[in-house]
Amino acid sequence: MTKLLEWLLGVSFVGIAWGLVTFDLLDLQLPSVCKEVAWPIPVYLLVVFGCYSLATVGYRVATFNDCEDAAKELQAQIKEAKEDLKQKGLKM
Amino acid sequence: MEATGADQVVGLGLVAFSLMLFTYYTIWVIVLPFVDTDHVIHMYFLPREYSVILPGVAALFLLLCVGTFIGVVTWKNRRSKKLD
Repeated sequence: MTKLLEWLLGVSFVGIAWGLVTFDLLDLQLPSVCKEVAWPIPVYLLVVFGCYSLATVGYRVATFNDCEDAAKELQAQIKEAKEDLKQKGLKM
Repeated sequence: MEATGADQVVGLGLVAFSLMLFTYYTIWVIVLPFVDTDHVIHMYFLPREYSVILPGVAALFLLLCVGTFIGVVTWKNRRSKKLD
């Protein structure tokens, strides 16, 4: 199952549950408090996602750093690749 | 290079702002329907329909900003290519 299908399945599941509760499609006779909480849920999920994104960006801004080990590793790999290519006859 | 003091202030400010927004909005949308309508806590929140209207207005405003930005950038690009 691809990631897209997974997400579509999840979203449609939540959407169906939301529709069932909000429009009372199954005639469950839910208390009115349930409906009151249920109808703004899509907007609420959107706002929560926005808050999470903002917090992630803020946290990364507060703690960003140089990756010196990764830089060394990458430079070593570049050197290795250059030597390998030279052996195979590439002029640099 | 590490994050400077200003970076930390801005970043933690963003985290604090989002946490506050999350708490306030959660109380507004999820908790308030379970509280009696004549309770004092209702004084600190707008009527319920605004919990959808305000995010909607904010989303429209953000989309407008993004659209304007993209429009301005593409327009400038096109103009500078003509000058070349």
